[in-house]
Amino acid sequence: MDDGVLLRMRGIVKQFPGVRALDGVDLDVAAGQVHCLLGQNGAGKSTLIRVLAGAHRPDEGSLSWEGEDVSFSSPSSAIQRGIATIYQELDLVPGLSVADNLYLGHEKATAGFVHRSAQGAAAAAVLKKLGHSEIPVSREVGRLSAAQQQIVSLARALARDAKLIVMDEPSAVLAHDEVDNLFRVIRGLIAENVAVVYISHRLEEIRQIGDMVTVLKDGRTVATGLPAKSTPTPELVSLMTGRNVEYLFPPRTSDPFSSDAPLLQVEGLALKGAFEGVDLVVRPGEIVGLAGLVGAGRSEVLETIYGARRRTTGTVRMEGRELPAGSVRAAVKAGMGLAPEERKSQALLLGEPVARNVTLASLSRMTKTVPGWLDRRREKITAQEATAGLEVRPADVTRAVKTLSGGNQQKVVLARWLLGSTKLLLLDEPTRGVDVGARSEIYALVRRLADDGMGVLLVSSEVPEVLGLADRVLVMREGQVVHTGPADELDEHRVLDLVMEGIAR
Amino acid sequence: MSVSTAPPAVSTQRPGVLARMRGTEVRNLGLVAVLAVLIVIGAVTSENFLTTDNLENILVSSSVIGVVTIGMTFVIIGGGIDLSVGAIVALASVWATTLATQSYGPWMMALCAILVGAGAGLANGLLIAYGRLVPFIVTLAMMVSARGLAARLADNRTQLVNEQGIKDLAKTDVLGIPLMVIILAVVAALGWILLNRTTFGRRTFAIGGNTEAARLAGIDTRLNTALLYVLSGTCCGIAAVMLLARTTTGSSTHGNLYELDAIAAVIIGGTLLSGGRGTLIGSILGVLVFITISNIFILNNLATETQNIAKGLIIVGAVLLQRRANRDTT
Amino acid sequence: MDGFTLDRRRLLAGSGLLGAAGLLAACTSNEPDEPESTGASQVANTGSGNDEPGQEVVIGFSAPAADHGWIGAITTKAEEEAAKYEDVDFQAVEGSNDVNQQISQVETLISRNVNVLVILPFDGNALTEVGIKAMEAGIQVINLDRVFSSARGYRTYIGGDNYGMGAAAGYYLAQQLTEKGVKDPVIGEVQGIADLPLTQDRSKGFEEALATAGFKVSNKVSAQFTVESGQQVTSNLLQAAPKLDALWNHDDDQGLGVLAAIEQAGRDEFIMVGGAGSRNMMDLIKADSGVMKATVTYPPSMAASAVKLARLVGQSKGMADLVELGVPASITLTSETITKENVDQYLSLGFES
Repeated sequence: MDDGVLLRMRGIVKQFPGVRALDGVDLDVAAGQVHCLLGQNGAGKSTLIRVLAGAHRPDEGSLSWEGEDVSFSSPSSAIQRGIATIYQELDLVPGLSVADNLYLGHEKATAGFVHRSAQGAAAAAVLKKLGHSEIPVSREVGRLSAAQQQIVSLARALARDAKLIVMDEPSAVLAHDEVDNLFRVIRGLIAENVAVVYISHRLEEIRQIGDMVTVLKDGRTVATGLPAKSTPTPELVSLMTGRNVEYLFPPRTSDPFSSDAPLLQVEGLALKGAFEGVDLVVRPGEIVGLAGLVGAGRSEVLETIYGARRRTTGTVRMEGRELPAGSVRAAVKAGMGLAPEERKSQALLLGEPVARNVTLASLSRMTKTVPGWLDRRREKITAQEATAGLEVRPADVTRAVKTLSGGNQQKVVLARWLLGSTKLLLLDEPTRGVDVGARSEIYALVRRLADDGMGVLLVSSEVPEVLGLADRVLVMREGQVVHTGPADELDEHRVLDLVMEGIAR
Repeated sequence: MSVSTAPPAVSTQRPGVLARMRGTEVRNLGLVAVLAVLIVIGAVTSENFLTTDNLENILVSSSVIGVVTIGMTFVIIGGGIDLSVGAIVALASVWATTLATQSYGPWMMALCAILVGAGAGLANGLLIAYGRLVPFIVTLAMMVSARGLAARLADNRTQLVNEQGIKDLAKTDVLGIPLMVIILAVVAALGWILLNRTTFGRRTFAIGGNTEAARLAGIDTRLNTALLYVLSGTCCGIAAVMLLARTTTGSSTHGNLYELDAIAAVIIGGTLLSGGRGTLIGSILGVLVFITISNIFILNNLATETQNIAKGLIIVGAVLLQRRANRDTT
Repeated sequence: MDGFTLDRRRLLAGSGLLGAAGLLAACTSNEPDEPESTGASQVANTGSGNDEPGQEVVIGFSAPAADHGWIGAITTKAEEEAAKYEDVDFQAVEGSNDVNQQISQVETLISRNVNVLVILPFDGNALTEVGIKAMEAGIQVINLDRVFSSARGYRTYIGGDNYGMGAAAGYYLAQQLTEKGVKDPVIGEVQGIADLPLTQDRSKGFEEALATAGFKVSNKVSAQFTVESGQQVTSNLLQAAPKLDALWNHDDDQGLGVLAAIEQAGRDEFIMVGGAGSRNMMDLIKADSGVMKATVTYPPSMAASAVKLARLVGQSKGMADLVELGVPASITLTSETITKENVDQYLSLGFES
């Protein structure tokens, strides 16, 4: 690398209980460049940003800033060095004015008294530089549009004289012409020798604004220093999705053209603002996969079928009987079980023992003759049997779930639904945060459940996972199903073409 | 990195007692130690401390607030808060001592107090669980309005209990143990069973620990939450009956600051204020610690102000300890 | 579970609730009250001509919230007294324990142009300014019980004697114990809210009176003027002093709790004196069946007197029994000791706690 390097990260490791979010990341950012970070959800981009911003302290690895080894003990120490971060969820204070937000934490003040007019003038100057002098500096931030708030965030970075600005999916909340304006601002920054780390899922943006690309996967840097304009799309995509280990997918056994009575029948399902017109059928013993980019509406489809979100229109039938909208309890009663995307926040009681997590959905069956009176022996034995059947390790059901690895946590969630009379399993990103060895086990397990007559609806952002595991695949783009067909008629590139059509161009 | 290479634990092999205890229970041990230290201090500083009469007095003094604290423990474990307990005690005590109620006799007075408590709790629960309002706000509103209603019903007077049957509750011993203490013990035992041995208790932990996970597991989180407040209100009703016996009056000033005493006892008892984890035994130990402190201060003729300072320090200390215990287990 | 049992259970629960609601509604009534003891003050000063109807006087009245018996009695006695005069238009505002709110209420009364104001301030210091404001606006102020920090704030002060009350209790106990020949008596004291000046005055009077006989207070606890706190602290006090000779309780409202604790502990070896003079305590003194032997007054009837004074001031009359033409600037009531011997005289002045 040349000497213009502003920031150098080497071998950054960040461990969370059960997950190794960053597993040796290298990153070099030069002044006057837009450095793009690419990677699927869960690849570690957000964690990396937080390390860079001083919000997380890395467990291993070194960080050098302007040629000097540093370690940020807090966000403010990173800010003092000149690193400003614009998070995906904007961290502005909605009740304060634009000017107050810009100078929050480094107010222009004497003895605690803010020089309001000086601050207002300075804020106006910064906004003008960004080409947004129309934003009134005295307006409350909460009353601005999303795009204007984005600009305020950016202005705040400038007001701090940042040398490096990190932007986490800044375009996600912006309309098309607003993105163009953002790019204009970024180009202006580059001209002043500021460095930008830019994160986006949209390849077209990276082509337009980026200089360099670093690709992250599973918490590691898989490629760095790629030219943003000229690296071919297929290469980038396969870097993001390609893997070193070939997963073993169990052989398919069900007939994709079976005419068995459907277990789940969804017609014209829509959720306002997320997806519409979704029709799908899952038969007993069948695994149906939903493929698509993040934001295509896959998880929302799953959650709406499950009743966790209230559908706008359409019908959901289990074994011919229509389910009421927005009732998880009815769905569970009808035989559905969900292994949600965010395992920790949506499925597990992390501090509780494995046994209690497994029996959570079927407590009413763990009772003695008196209703509501728990039979703890039976609970423990049932949990032991269920977890042993899934080979959860360690095999001690009294251990707190948070001490288990990601793969074993996922098995605990699956075990929960195996206890009940579950007929249809909804799996959302079943291998997210699961390490390589355990994935094949989960695949085999899902297939075995299907062979035993369970229906499975699978959502995954990893295309090979959908193709390898499912019998039939629905491909979604921007809230609509664009393709339905047997999995063995598709390959990864065909799916990527379908999902990126109009995006990657 | 996920799977340890050590052979999986064999389930027949029972781990040691300490290893099997979970964080909260270990903290309970700490509280037992605090109580032991207090007892030593009490015994050293006052010759009247270690008498049967005085120890009985401490237990009896703990009984009313103890029952309230049991209900509060459920609510807090379930992820809520109930600021209205003191006011509900006052309202129940007043409602049960109106002349009209008293004319029905002692049983009806007791039933009335308990129903008023449960009813106020139900109102809290419905607004919180089905009206989707914040527990803090709902129970704050109940705190203000229940006390107002109590003052109105009583016309700002202290209402005397005329029924000897109620008054006798405070003077009755069963097998040498004061009835008040027995009531506390029974409520605590029932509470413990409900919390640790029933599906309701299990679901309460689940809702307090992770509401979303509980909902997505098909648990009726709203019904369960509403029932928690009914339970707390019922405990207040029982406490009100005990207070009628203890003070021989019903008054809108009864139960003053019970909400703070109960919450403080629950927290130093090791229950997380954010919910999902806690024990009833810890809460009761918390009550005993507070009451014992007051007792020692009065036995030694020390001023109330210092006593409050000591209580404050204990609350802060206990919460700091709790945070450390949390960090250790995360 | 199947739908039937569920519905049935709901139905049962529903009807149970309805029944409970009916029962509870029936229980709110306090109607079948024992014959209301009028408690009207019977200050006998007829014949002076002062009670003859005169020029109409509008009297504004402001006091703390009537959240315990004594303050409650203050408010009712004032109302009852005013109702006796045709020439008095009595305008009371809602009581409040927030000084800020009380100040605004008094300001409202000032702007309503009342002739005379009777103010029992929650805190005398805090209400002084508004008292001065009223006086400067030409409205005469009768300052009741808790004295303002400046005499410019009132035309006349009338109130009880907290020091004298403690002293009366102290002298009574000293005399009783000396008569019995008790050496080194163990004397307990149950205060009200400890940090109020009035509590400190009472304790000071008590201690100094006891000291004249060479006695001192051995155990002191403080309650909150509420029954419950009285019970709670007294049960501990009784543990601290396994044998007592005498006990003074500052406040008859909390006295119900103090007596409950004494009864529950089965103690009767000492004599007890109350404070303020509630009807309950007078009945007990009259019955002479327990520890309660006396109470020292701090009479809420002062509110009735204040209304009388307000009327006189409003009509520019003096007190008939005095030579002076105007009402005096300050009147401090004595604290009287009510015992079995004289209790009958006071029964009608006792207030309901």
